[in-house]
Amino acid sequence: MSPATSVFLFPAFINSYSENPGLTLPGFSELFDRYIQQAADSVEPKLAFFDFHSSNFLEDELLTQYITFLYSCAASTILRNNSVHPRFTTGYSMGIYAAFFDGGSVSLETGLMLIRSAYQSLISSLDNEIYGMGAIIGLSRSDILNIIDSRCLNVEITNQNASHSFVISGLRNNIETLLFYAHNEGALHTRCFNVSIPYHHSLLGKGAKQFEESISHLEILPSHNPVISLIDQKQCNTAWELRQEVVRNLFNPLNWLKTNEWLIKNGTTEIIECGPSKNLAKNAKFLPGNYRFYTLDKISSQIKSNPCG
Amino acid sequence: MAKITESIRNEVREVVYGFFAEECEVDISRINDKTSIIKDLDGDSLMFLELIEIFKKKYDLDIELKVIGKYAVKHPVATIGQLIEMQLLIIEHENKLLELDK
Repeated sequence: MSPATSVFLFPAFINSYSENPGLTLPGFSELFDRYIQQAADSVEPKLAFFDFHSSNFLEDELLTQYITFLYSCAASTILRNNSVHPRFTTGYSMGIYAAFFDGGSVSLETGLMLIRSAYQSLISSLDNEIYGMGAIIGLSRSDILNIIDSRCLNVEITNQNASHSFVISGLRNNIETLLFYAHNEGALHTRCFNVSIPYHHSLLGKGAKQFEESISHLEILPSHNPVISLIDQKQCNTAWELRQEVVRNLFNPLNWLKTNEWLIKNGTTEIIECGPSKNLAKNAKFLPGNYRFYTLDKISSQIKSNPCG
Repeated sequence: MAKITESIRNEVREVVYGFFAEECEVDISRINDKTSIIKDLDGDSLMFLELIEIFKKKYDLDIELKVIGKYAVKHPVATIGQLIEMQLLIIEHENKLLELDK
């Protein structure tokens, strides 16, 4: 099986392993365990104790990023080994590191070091305020901006998932204020994320600069296939483009809705979510177009029914 | 303002049952009006949003999402039956939904 118009999509964080669709992929558990051991040996020994139930590190912002990355890398490796080759890839937020690994731009160890460097650079650049992120579903962009402006809140819209689905970043208490007023304004759903860094907020520019310097010695190669930017839907191929993208990804707002629209407009017929949940697939349902969205459990049934590739 | 006939009521029920059976990958025979959307079906707000969009298109409704959100704050929906009743009110009253509380 080699759909010429497929896209691999890599998620950033996970907040539950209840779905765990990768387990249905043939050989996934063995490869994931191997990657976990490699990560434990290279960046964080604690990772050796990971399991999906009792020691899953969901409360740890950095360790969860490592696990999501390793999970995504194992999944995409197996898909490619089964002749599922994407025309494009894209990383949702911090999912960009898995897109780099998948495209052969970085090794597993370098990907882990990028994650660690980004986290440490951003944390050290923040002042003593408490920051966070959240989500609002059911209001328009202008409704949200009106609340932000009228209450003088230090919060930015940092991603648009669908026409009425937004991610926000900023000061934690300002986010709580915004969510309160958004709920009163008629939002169908609001929630805070369990993160301490306001990812994609403009105030992270300084930390991103530190990150850029800290990764200057790491090898980043051209990608086998274009990685599509969630910031402006640019195709990133060369080592220089990828290096620029991984830095600006930290402090620029994303637009997942526009990225999806770009992918569909450019002939994509299959989007495969390469990660431990099915969250991104849910957002894609609102887009018109002739395409299908697969989670790992759905694509694995196709692999099994077509084992020769 | 649409008049809710028995035919529309049946159609809405059929769409809602079919939607949750497909989205939540459960047999439609396991769904009834008392089924809890979150506890029994693991449903979420995005499903609610998607269902609203389906009905907006199907009945060409003029309604803002935030009107539904404001109404839902005072009239929370927990079961399939409650969701069907809310959808019928949305079809019947559209953007005048909040006037029901006056």
